[in-house]
Amino acid sequence: MPINTLFVGKVLLAFEELPSTNAYAQELLATSKPIEGTVITAVQQPAGRGQHGSSWESEAGKNLTCSFILHPGFLPAAQHFALNKAVSLAVRDTVAHFCNDHVVKIKWPNDIYIGDAKTCGILIQNTLQRGALGTSIVGIGLNVNQASFSDWIPNPTSLLMANGLENDPMVVLAHLCQNLEARYLKLKAGKQTEMDQTYLQQLYRFQEISIFQRPNGEILAGKIIGVDPIGKLMVQFDEWTESFDLKEIKLVVSG
Amino acid sequence: MDAKDLQELLKLISRLEFSEFSMREGDFRLTVRGKHYNQGQQVVLSGVPTQVTTAPSAVPAAAPFAAAPAPAATAPAVTPAATATAASDDSRYVAIKSPIVGTFYRSPGPDKPVFVKVGDKVSPGMVVCIVEAMKLFNEIEADITGTVVKALIEDGSPVEYDQVLYLIDPKG
Repeated sequence: MPINTLFVGKVLLAFEELPSTNAYAQELLATSKPIEGTVITAVQQPAGRGQHGSSWESEAGKNLTCSFILHPGFLPAAQHFALNKAVSLAVRDTVAHFCNDHVVKIKWPNDIYIGDAKTCGILIQNTLQRGALGTSIVGIGLNVNQASFSDWIPNPTSLLMANGLENDPMVVLAHLCQNLEARYLKLKAGKQTEMDQTYLQQLYRFQEISIFQRPNGEILAGKIIGVDPIGKLMVQFDEWTESFDLKEIKLVVSG
Repeated sequence: MDAKDLQELLKLISRLEFSEFSMREGDFRLTVRGKHYNQGQQVVLSGVPTQVTTAPSAVPAAAPFAAAPAPAATAPAVTPAATATAASDDSRYVAIKSPIVGTFYRSPGPDKPVFVKVGDKVSPGMVVCIVEAMKLFNEIEADITGTVVKALIEDGSPVEYDQVLYLIDPKG
């Protein structure tokens, strides 16, 4: 399937194996000037990264593991979470194309859920220069055809597990490139209000009573009512509203 | 300000958690920086005190402090404390501040060496730390040339917008 875009995916660097596509992208940025929209993919990625220190497991050849290089210099540092919204929406659009659209949601801040299970993780690494974004590496691990996962992974799923159909990871990539370009261009055009609304519409458990857990173990019932400009999750409890950093709250998933 | 006044003043200062306090009246100049200042507490006294004129930004109890000393001064000038030089040193350093709210990391990963340490040279475009916010990892680049003289934030600590992360000596 051809990638029908202006710039995202026009340069595609496909590898059989890379320790980590994000790490390769970093190396590329350090040693050359890769054009905006450059994509790096790897069939196998043994050192795939999740959050600071955690790893990302993907069975060889079954899934899509890729990194995009962007130059969002138009975004002030204070608005860096807007890039996360654009990327999350693009990945959600992509997963939704292969599944029942309305069950595909963004679990704050950027996991993609089908129902109550995670099908995709996103890891964004930016550079900040003089108060604005410089380069951005958007790493995406999307479970496509994997049918079983290690026990330590909390609640995984894949496109195959969700709809029973195998898909070519490169076809998924083509869709992703198109969706990412569309969302990114909207961000660049300053359509942030529209994007803020769409992000909330697509947010997992938005405006629904959910169970939350604080790091000290305290369990609370509340509902997500928004995300503040710096990306904190706003939760309304019985008699108060609170904003949370990622490490300050856990949404307890019943899956 | 006589010795007893000074003693009272110092006692009071030691109880308060100032991050910064400065006052100036004629020849009298007083600078206090409390616990959150990496140099530790320091008091710089010079000239003849009259009364507190400024109680800026600082933290908890500016009011009680202002109310306390301020004697009508006739005493001779107090010689500057030894730490005075340290205070003026800092003013020629340039701060690298956090452009966002988040969690500060001194290295690219748990087992990796730090981006920069005291004594290292930095130059524009060089990564000095990561500030992570809501799973977005932001590498902060230096925008000046110089030598790191202070690294103020512990690895894994929260940082606020505009918080000073490093002090750089541009002549170093």
